[in-house]
Amino acid sequence: MKRFLILSMALIAVAAAPVMAGQTESYGEGVTLDEAVAIDVLLANPNDYVGRKIRVDGIITAVCKKRGCWMQITNPESGDGVRIKVEDGAIVFPYTSMGHEAQAEGIFEAIKLTPEQIEARTEAANDLQEGATCDKDGPKTPAEGAGCDLPPVDQYVYMIRGTGAVIKG
Amino acid sequence: MRLRPLIIATHRDIGYFFAGLTVLYAVSGVAVNHIDDWNPNYVIRREVVEVGVLPFGEPAELGAEVLSRMDITEEPRSVVRMSREELKVFLDQRTLTVTLPGGQVVDEHARRRFAFFEVNYLHLNTGKGFWTWFADVYAVGLLVLACTGIFIIPGKKGLGGRGRWILIIGLSIPIAYLVIAVWR
Repeated sequence: MKRFLILSMALIAVAAAPVMAGQTESYGEGVTLDEAVAIDVLLANPNDYVGRKIRVDGIITAVCKKRGCWMQITNPESGDGVRIKVEDGAIVFPYTSMGHEAQAEGIFEAIKLTPEQIEARTEAANDLQEGATCDKDGPKTPAEGAGCDLPPVDQYVYMIRGTGAVIKG
Repeated sequence: MRLRPLIIATHRDIGYFFAGLTVLYAVSGVAVNHIDDWNPNYVIRREVVEVGVLPFGEPAELGAEVLSRMDITEEPRSVVRMSREELKVFLDQRTLTVTLPGGQVVDEHARRRFAFFEVNYLHLNTGKGFWTWFADVYAVGLLVLACTGIFIIPGKKGLGGRGRWILIIGLSIPIAYLVIAVWR
């Protein structure tokens, strides 16, 4: 029985090693594309990329607090950011990964807003300009708030339906 | 061949083996059931401080100035200018969101919630890989526990009497909920 116990502990240690390593970590399918699209180029010409699998590189500037189901990757040069959304539980981005360099890829999507959403966003943007907050959790800015970070291009919001990512430690 | 001793022994040993994990999963289950009410994975503390009007400059310079005024000696992970009015300074488990040029800083500390982060990591199979397989084994173990459990006690208190009714009541609750919430 003691041997069994020792074997079990060794197995757990081996399995847990990648979690504790704190090095570059791959999520989901990782990154398969060789070249990234610059985020400012992407957001300047979104319709050129809708429906295509793309990769973006940048700094993680926001992460879903509770479920880790999205993260925002920002080009540190321009400040432009794009949200990488994944199915709940399929990939979990660690909240503590903010500030790390990351590469992420997936299908670039345009989501048409409803009139109610457009109205809500307009009000939120106006409130933010007056220094108000974006949601109840605390001070927000257009770059961090729920939905407030997406550029107001036409009546669509753009995001990447993420398939994988690599976060550098 | 008498089957009951084998059933009891199987139930006992699998029960011992998975008792610890069942407790962990139960704790995590309650924690994530109430995810709308709290953050089961991280403790996030936020405070607002004023560091005074900041000069113009590159993000790295501004970040260093903010850290200096806040007496923080830690080297930042990165500094990003999010917009003309906003700078973010990322430290280990800490993010400073600075309003420019006014100097209001939202200082957010985030740390893993002790024990809950780990049990949720297991329960939600965040790590995938080995744990996917082990969790599958656990699921089979629970199935065996359920199937052997109902045959442990013979007679009136077992499946032939009281046990049958308790089993039916237990099954009827999820079925009734589905009828009301999904199948109507």
